[in-house]
Amino acid sequence: MSGRYHRPHGWAWFLERPGYIRFMVRELTSFFVAGYLIVLLVTLGRLGGGEAAFAEWLNALSGPGWMLAHVVALIAAVWHSITWFGAVPQAMPMYLGEKKLPAPLAAVVMGYGPWLTVTAVIVWWVLR
Amino acid sequence: MSTELTMTLEVFRYHPETDSEPRFQAYEVPYDEDWVVLDALNWIKDHVDGSLTHRWSCRMGVCGSCGMMVNGDPKLTCAVFLKDYYPRPIKVEPLVNFPVERDLVVSLDGFMDKLEAVKPYIIRGDVNDTSGGEYLQSPAELAQYKQYSMCINCMLCYAACPVAGHEDEFLGPAALALGHRYNKDSRDQGQAERLDVMLVGEAIWGCTFVGECTVVCPKHVDPAGAIQQAKAVGAQEFFKRFVAPKGAGV
Ligand code: SF4
Ligand code: FES
Repeated sequence: MSGRYHRPHGWAWFLERPGYIRFMVRELTSFFVAGYLIVLLVTLGRLGGGEAAFAEWLNALSGPGWMLAHVVALIAAVWHSITWFGAVPQAMPMYLGEKKLPAPLAAVVMGYGPWLTVTAVIVWWVLR
Repeated sequence: MSTELTMTLEVFRYHPETDSEPRFQAYEVPYDEDWVVLDALNWIKDHVDGSLTHRWSCRMGVCGSCGMMVNGDPKLTCAVFLKDYYPRPIKVEPLVNFPVERDLVVSLDGFMDKLEAVKPYIIRGDVNDTSGGEYLQSPAELAQYKQYSMCINCMLCYAACPVAGHEDEFLGPAALALGHRYNKDSRDQGQAERLDVMLVGEAIWGCTFVGECTVVCPKHVDPAGAIQQAKAVGAQEFFKRFVAPKGAGV
């Protein structure tokens, strides 16, 4: 198109606005979640490999490197969840007649509420 | 007016007939607490440089024509005050993610095509049959889409969206929110037609929910929310069309 100026896009576009950085952090946390899932799958695999293999794997996992990796993965997963629960009121607005449920309440009703309930049930089931 | 005080506006200039590249020009403008950035631009045009080109009309956040980048943020220049920046200089640029026609004026062509693509009007089969009277709508039904109907087409959301800047096929926040607005209207029957457009390629799926469109929208439209809802409808429809393709008689 002649006579029109197209401004170039820099490769570092994700640094241009704080919101873009927050977006990238949110997306990157999913790698940690995926990484943890792989560890979980390997754990299940070892469980199938017999008691000795499983014990050896558990022993390896209790090393400081793996501990740190788990803490990092936990923080990433929690942050990922918080961002998604924050998005729930936008993606699934709830109406009571003409009134839209306020965002914090909707996040509790459709995000944190069910999450904590399921967590509580699992904790009860494991500890009972 | 406290005429002694001044501040600097650094304004993006580009005249295609003489400039191969844009440049920035600094202007000293009177500082007035009550002035918005648009007042300063108009003052430059009236008193210093008549060749400065920018769009505006209503001066009250209604027409949507005065959107520009103000210190890197997409803003309605009739709604941002000099006092929010004083005494630091203010950098004014045309909205990013659009080709520049001249100075602060961007091309609207692509945006208008995208708005048109989502068929932003009520579609019905019985449009010529008025025997049933008006199409009634309850306040609760109105509430379902009212927020998405407040758009003034200012395009700030496109300037805030990294996908709109990188992916031409993406219809963009305002157009998708407008499509969703009509899909949610109880009087409308055109959802299938609109989804034919919205579900193609990157048209809606290009959205990665960065969410900055909603942050910058001066009318609280929440295009990001509208797009995620439209994606959910689209995903259901996509699945339905997958299991029962059109014409399969289901
Ligand atoms: S959705 Fe908001 S930011 Fe986007 S064009 Fe409409 S009013 Fe402007
Ligand atoms: S001049 Fe109309 S919105 Fe700013």
